[in-house]
Amino acid sequence: MTKKMLDDFTVVDFTHVLAGPHCTKMLAEHGAEVIKIEPTGGEMIRVFPTLKEGRSAHFVQHNIGKKTVAIDITTPEGQKICHELVKQADVVVENFAPGVMKKHNLDWDTLRQLKPDLVMCSISCFGQTGPLSHLPGFDYIGQAYAGIIDLNGERGRPPVFGEYAFGDLSTSTHAYAAILTALIHRMNGGGGQYLDICLMEVLFSYHEMNVQLFDTTDGEFVCERSGPSHPLFAPIGIYTCKGRYIFIIGLGHSWDSLMKVIGREDMLSDPRLADVSGRGKHTDEINAAIEAWLDTIEDVETAVAILQEKRIPAAPILTIPQVMELEHTKERGMVRTVSDPVFGTVKIPRTPMRFSQFPDSPDLQAGMLGQYNHEVLRERLGYDEQQINELENTGVIGSKNI
Amino acid sequence: MPPTHILNGIKVIDFSHYVAGPHCTRLLAQHGAEVIKIERLSGDPTRKLPVQKGGTSGCFVQHNLGKKSLSLDLEKPEAQGICHDLIKNADIVVENFTPGTMKRLNMDWETLQAINPKLIMCSVSCMGQTGPLATYPCFDYIGQAYSGIMGMTGDEGGFPALSGMAFGEISTGAHAYGAIVSALFHKLHGGGGQYLDISLLDCLFSYHAMNVQVYDASNGEMNPLRSGHQHPFIAPLAIYQCKGAYLIIIALGKQWTNLVKLIDREDMLDDPRFADPVSRNVNRAELTEAIEFWLDGFDDVDAALRSLGENHVPAAPVLSVSEVMSHPHMIERGIVQTITNKHFGDLKIPASPYRYSLFPEPLELEAGLLGEHNHEVLSEQLAYTTEQIQILEDSGVCSIKP
Repeated sequence: MTKKMLDDFTVVDFTHVLAGPHCTKMLAEHGAEVIKIEPTGGEMIRVFPTLKEGRSAHFVQHNIGKKTVAIDITTPEGQKICHELVKQADVVVENFAPGVMKKHNLDWDTLRQLKPDLVMCSISCFGQTGPLSHLPGFDYIGQAYAGIIDLNGERGRPPVFGEYAFGDLSTSTHAYAAILTALIHRMNGGGGQYLDICLMEVLFSYHEMNVQLFDTTDGEFVCERSGPSHPLFAPIGIYTCKGRYIFIIGLGHSWDSLMKVIGREDMLSDPRLADVSGRGKHTDEINAAIEAWLDTIEDVETAVAILQEKRIPAAPILTIPQVMELEHTKERGMVRTVSDPVFGTVKIPRTPMRFSQFPDSPDLQAGMLGQYNHEVLRERLGYDEQQINELENTGVIGSKNI
Repeated sequence: MPPTHILNGIKVIDFSHYVAGPHCTRLLAQHGAEVIKIERLSGDPTRKLPVQKGGTSGCFVQHNLGKKSLSLDLEKPEAQGICHDLIKNADIVVENFTPGTMKRLNMDWETLQAINPKLIMCSVSCMGQTGPLATYPCFDYIGQAYSGIMGMTGDEGGFPALSGMAFGEISTGAHAYGAIVSALFHKLHGGGGQYLDISLLDCLFSYHAMNVQVYDASNGEMNPLRSGHQHPFIAPLAIYQCKGAYLIIIALGKQWTNLVKLIDREDMLDDPRFADPVSRNVNRAELTEAIEFWLDGFDDVDAALRSLGENHVPAAPVLSVSEVMSHPHMIERGIVQTITNKHFGDLKIPASPYRYSLFPEPLELEAGLLGEHNHEVLSEQLAYTTEQIQILEDSGVCSIKP
């Protein structure tokens, strides 16, 4: 069997919901042994849809490849088990609100005493410091505070948010990358360290222009939501074609090509439209010309094909089932089917990292609540059956078929 | 010289342009790697974007901190020879051309692997290196449309909306960085070099934290569609109004109990129509009314947010970018970084979200003018004489030093 990149590495995982679990899922997919510590009642995401016989497919998606251990970490006995596991581990990941790990004697200062070369990563909404750090958070809370939701939606209308968790999942990726970087440092003799990764900062870093534009124009430029058209440049926007939607960008050479395709070469010599900024001031006029052309095309697919033929960036706006059915999606294996004892199979997005040495996604399952209690306590910590039974009877550990 | 960061000693040859690739190589530079950015003679197109000052652009500076600029005409065999010589002693190559371009320039994986068997090469693209869409012309938003992300943003039944920033490109850059450090880690363990295929489409599609599995596991019964300012499947998770301002409230798990107590609607706790997040969504009109009735009792949105925060209900104001930049939390955490560029002057950009206990301060990095490091790179790394460099400049293989 080929050795995976993180074979022989052990992660003790105190995460729940999305931002933490996706990070530890990536660690598992790269070969690490991940021991996920859950409360004895199960973590929050276990009640999220789709549910079948009490089992959540949402949980399955984000927890494949982890050994699930359910421990009451508010008890001294539960904390002792965690400490013993951390002593044998390389990495700890957690995403509680700042302060919770300390309350349960699992903070960095405690854990580094137990395992001096530990890499510990805390993932949070606002970071471990600062006036907002203690507040409860979720992806969209971070998006609101990072100035992202304000940019989504029609001008002058309430903002909207996208129904996907790019804040949580991409923060996980940053955390994953930070952990790997810290492991490289440890391998080079640099020792362990603590990582403070938060949604708000990851999300704020996605402003590839807005921050510097506001700053360098001395506040003159404030980005605002602008519905289907780009606030600054034209043509960049969503258009209708026979009752469906198409996205078109005409920058650089594509501007010339686009005007030729739509039969509006006159716009190429219009001095008002000489550059990107000038075109941005006449978005409505340009959009009307594009829509007039689209009206003459029989459907979105034909329009996309004509534009792509001329190397003008264009795309149909797809729904989830349409994406899953796309030839390209299938050929690339972007939808991955994982097996599950309750669901049989569940389709999930493939993790985007593709390595030539490891072309296939590993076949991994998500554990039932506390499924690995016995195995982990017995094999890693040397507990005997009697000790384990006692922990079960006192409610320090628990399990359930969900 | 003492080590400044984890990737000191790692050499990167960077063929990337625009945002997705450059963000990846900027992360490598921020972690201490030496990055030599090879640009066409006309320069990375972001050098022309607003705001322009001192012969450079704020956008270019933001995404190219810490890189040495070497400008070459890659169509010329001499230029390709220089690249091959540099790659012989490099650890990593990053590029984000349209698939096929690197092969045309004799810079594809097979060629480079033969030159340097231990090389890690990462191709960043919109649609991936394979599949029917691979060579289509692309930008961030094209990937958003094809991944179903754009289709999930906007008012229910209405026009889809654009998001006002490049979260696809920046977060794909972060994924590429994560894959590169994984491969580097593997190489340090004796695993050899490899090729990485990272695409915007894969990354964006992976942000569907629920949509793919919900559609699949419900056998198509739950079809995810954009739903404006309310989550399609879960409540309360929505944007609300309070005295003309917008705020987002999310109450899951125990936070649901906290919220209904706070808004004085404990009757909902025993109401089967509000038993779980999915049924609360089915009956969300009544729930929204109850929450907005409570919000009406406040003088302003800040007072409402304080009350929600004190009662452990996740909530946030919908901030604009400028409001984010002046928020006390962001100031205390330093998420807006002011960099000093010798050509541009001071420039505010989002700080890197990677925070290491062993490296608390970001490195001070500059973004060079086009070809600024031609002489340095050619003379120091490849031992070219001044006369040889002069010949290359005269024959248009590399640009004249600015």
